[in-house]
Amino acid sequence: MHSLENENETFKVDARRRLVILGGLFAGGAMIIGGQLFHLQVMNGGEYRNLAEDNRISLQPIPALRGRILDRHGRILVENSADFQLFVIPELAGDIRAFIRRVQPYLDLSSDKIEKVLRQAQRQRGFLPLMVLSRLTWPQVNWIESRIHTLPGASIQVQTTRSYPSGNVAAHLLGYLGEVNSKDILQYPSIHFRSGDIVGKTGMERMFELELRGKEGFREMEVNAVGRHIRELKRQPAHPGPDLRLTIDADLQAEAELALAGQSGSTVCLNPNNGEVLAMVSQPAYDPNQFIRGFSSDEWKILVTDPKRPLINKAIQGQYPPGSTFKMVVALAGLREGKINASTRHSCGGSVTRENHTFYCWKSHGHGQMDLVTAIEQSCDVFFYKVSETLGIDAIARQAKRMGLGEISNIGLEGERPGLIPSKAWKKAALGQPWYPGETLISAIGQGAVLATPLQLAVMVGSIANGGHIFRPTFVPTPKNVQPKPAFSHPINPTHLAMVRKGMIAVLHGKGGTARQFKPESVMAAGKTGTSQVVKHKREKSGKLIKEDNARFKDHALFVCYAPVENPLIALSVVVEHGGHGSTAAAPIAKRIVDFYFNKYGIPGA
Amino acid sequence: MSLNSDEKNIRFLGESRVGWRDRFSRFPTSLLVLLTILSLGGFVVLYSAVGGGENLDYVWRQGARFGVGLVLMLVIAMSGSEKVYRRYAYLFYGISLALLIVVFLTGTIGMGARRWLVIGFLNLQPSELMKVTLVLALARYFHDRSISMRLGVADLIIPLLMILLPTALIVKQPDLGTSILLSGVGMAVIVAAGLEWKIFIAVICLVGASLPLGWNLMHDYQRRRILTLFSPEKDPLGAGYHIIQSKIAVGSGGIFGKGFMAGSQSQLNFLPERHTDFIFSVLAEEWGFVGGLLLLSLYCMIVLRALIIASMASDRFGLLTVVGLTALFSFQVLVNMGMVIGLLPVVGIPLPMISYGGSSMLTLMIAMGLMIHVSIHSKQHGRTI
Repeated sequence: MHSLENENETFKVDARRRLVILGGLFAGGAMIIGGQLFHLQVMNGGEYRNLAEDNRISLQPIPALRGRILDRHGRILVENSADFQLFVIPELAGDIRAFIRRVQPYLDLSSDKIEKVLRQAQRQRGFLPLMVLSRLTWPQVNWIESRIHTLPGASIQVQTTRSYPSGNVAAHLLGYLGEVNSKDILQYPSIHFRSGDIVGKTGMERMFELELRGKEGFREMEVNAVGRHIRELKRQPAHPGPDLRLTIDADLQAEAELALAGQSGSTVCLNPNNGEVLAMVSQPAYDPNQFIRGFSSDEWKILVTDPKRPLINKAIQGQYPPGSTFKMVVALAGLREGKINASTRHSCGGSVTRENHTFYCWKSHGHGQMDLVTAIEQSCDVFFYKVSETLGIDAIARQAKRMGLGEISNIGLEGERPGLIPSKAWKKAALGQPWYPGETLISAIGQGAVLATPLQLAVMVGSIANGGHIFRPTFVPTPKNVQPKPAFSHPINPTHLAMVRKGMIAVLHGKGGTARQFKPESVMAAGKTGTSQVVKHKREKSGKLIKEDNARFKDHALFVCYAPVENPLIALSVVVEHGGHGSTAAAPIAKRIVDFYFNKYGIPGA
Repeated sequence: MSLNSDEKNIRFLGESRVGWRDRFSRFPTSLLVLLTILSLGGFVVLYSAVGGGENLDYVWRQGARFGVGLVLMLVIAMSGSEKVYRRYAYLFYGISLALLIVVFLTGTIGMGARRWLVIGFLNLQPSELMKVTLVLALARYFHDRSISMRLGVADLIIPLLMILLPTALIVKQPDLGTSILLSGVGMAVIVAAGLEWKIFIAVICLVGASLPLGWNLMHDYQRRRILTLFSPEKDPLGAGYHIIQSKIAVGSGGIFGKGFMAGSQSQLNFLPERHTDFIFSVLAEEWGFVGGLLLLSLYCMIVLRALIIASMASDRFGLLTVVGLTALFSFQVLVNMGMVIGLLPVVGIPLPMISYGGSSMLTLMIAMGLMIHVSIHSKQHGRTI
């Protein structure tokens, strides 16, 4: 018993000795550290101070040149140009106000801008370059360069900026750039963004961001205490983004824009055999260069409050009632379901009345006896009212989906809208109401709930041109030796196709065609006019239309067509917002585009 | 022989329940004061390291952690009976080991380092828990078999397993720094428990001999760090960058430093990790040799005070616990400073109480709480320094 306590005591004595040893080990370590500190800071402090002052290594990114965007023939749509910027290092310049006074006569800075520069000068370190002005003109660059030795701290730096040589042409299609935000970072996890990076925001610039941006390089620079570069140590060059060649035909695009100029609307031209987009116009447009230069708040306000909505790409985001351009869908649905055939005839007396409601034809005194071909040619509403009654809405909706309507085309552009093809199930789900028979009649002439984008209308008419195939619209040229594959196909019975085509040809080339005044001169084409009501028309008791003068209430004018009639090469849609009649406002635009195209390229085999 | 140590102590030294009044009067205030001075100084350096007022929230967060740590420390120090931590030592160790295994198993699925365990809103780092619980478990082990004076090879099998198991799991995470730390701390406890000096020297030789083996097991980046230590100039922009820039920062501080917020290396982004592992180079650049020595002496005072607590501990468990935890603390000080001034390879070990980061600070505050607990329950408590 006693020995246990003894043992405990002996342990304690031994343990204390061990504690001293462990403490000594720590003290030894601390002394080594203290010694090294003495060595570094006291013995060699001066040398290290020189190293810190004079010898710094700074890693500088070399931005990669963004790929240019070219049209199908290699013409430049988007390129990079030099931007000369004046920088000053405040510490070297001395008095920054005096510096600004010296350069002011040649730069003509606004007082706002001067204020901004002075504020920034206070915020950042004196040895860091401060940007005074970008986008210097040549005379300004020359003036500064020739006096650079009398302007201590000043330097001209060249940055590349994006430039859109044709300004407004294809603005929506090409898109614009902007500073990276959190949404971009989430969308492109594979890109290592740094703050302030420029990234494509809309259009092609966005859709092909990964391809266009290239890979950034680095420079390892030795810089001195005031941030001046001493020498370059190592360089990893940037890899520029490759040029991007589009399916767009720059000439056709420009012509289409001219044709639509002054209007609010859109046109889309496709190759119906492979889905290549030849032109995509949305008017009015904006100048994408302005996004690089920056907007004043007034300019921006005008842009966003303009009722013609210039920032919207109407080709994919504008949804319009297709009006009579929808009649081909109803016709093909009726033929497919066996509800009509070549000998089907309906009499048009200017209106039909169902359940105390009168549905009017656009021609108030009626068309008389109509068959399918003449009904398309003259766009008789009553004929299609009657066909739709035998079909029902769901059969019409099925045919519309077969022709690419009611769903986005997956063209790849952000913000594409799906349009709307109503059906009984849709109305139940969306509004919780049953479908009324009268709504079928309204839908049959592309009114009511039916909506389509100009792109969808071009795809739809393209499927008539190619016999029932839906190609995904694309901006990437199809390689020559590759057979283009449609996204889906619902081949149309050749007899049915022939009847509908015959009606469409008659629209332009027939005696009673709604657009016969505007038939193309270069080629035989097939088309269809459309006029879609924006507001319900007011009528007198007799049924006569009351004229509305307010432009906002004017009808949208539409036209779809393809050409040539044999082996079509182009399918297009035109929508003119509040343009009035499709026959007078939209058809001439389509004629101009078609004529331009075939005058330029000719008709193969002709 | 059949008596366990608890009964021995009760029988021969007498179990006395320490009252609340005594717990306060025996509180080693000097330790608390030293820790507080250290942390306050740390906030000042951190403020400068993160670039000043714009990033003040870093300092607030660090302050909040110190506050939480302080509460934790006081609760651990003041609560429980004398033997509470001894009784549950193995349990704590077992829990930590189990958590490490969970991290190890889930970690094999993911790529790269995986050290965290997310339990609800809590981010738990089992390797931090293990630092403290390993010390408790080893102290308990040697406490229970306090009969033989000198420890032979056979007595070391179990404690070595207790050290190697978690160390191996942590190496695999991979966290070389923590695993070295863990084995160092375990070694310190074994030495204090009465290791034969011959064995100690033999182990040192063994470790030396097995270094080439360890070299083969290392990751590429770990090898590079060691190589660059000896010749950082070979790769000034790659692996040697940390060491060169850190040495320039420390050296350029000179005797009196460049002044608060005035270190060009620290303020101009030349120093990597300057608010975490490399925060000492910020201090040394801005406060110079004087500041560096001041910090070093603060650490020395804390270690000295802790060793005094160890020497006055009422039982073997208390003594070994304090020795182990002191080793944990001082080892981090030496390794971190050694790495910043270019004496040791770059391993991720933070500077105690100064580096930004929560888990390391909480671990150290828990360790301090345990030390104070031992101090309060020591038998020779007449005088505190």
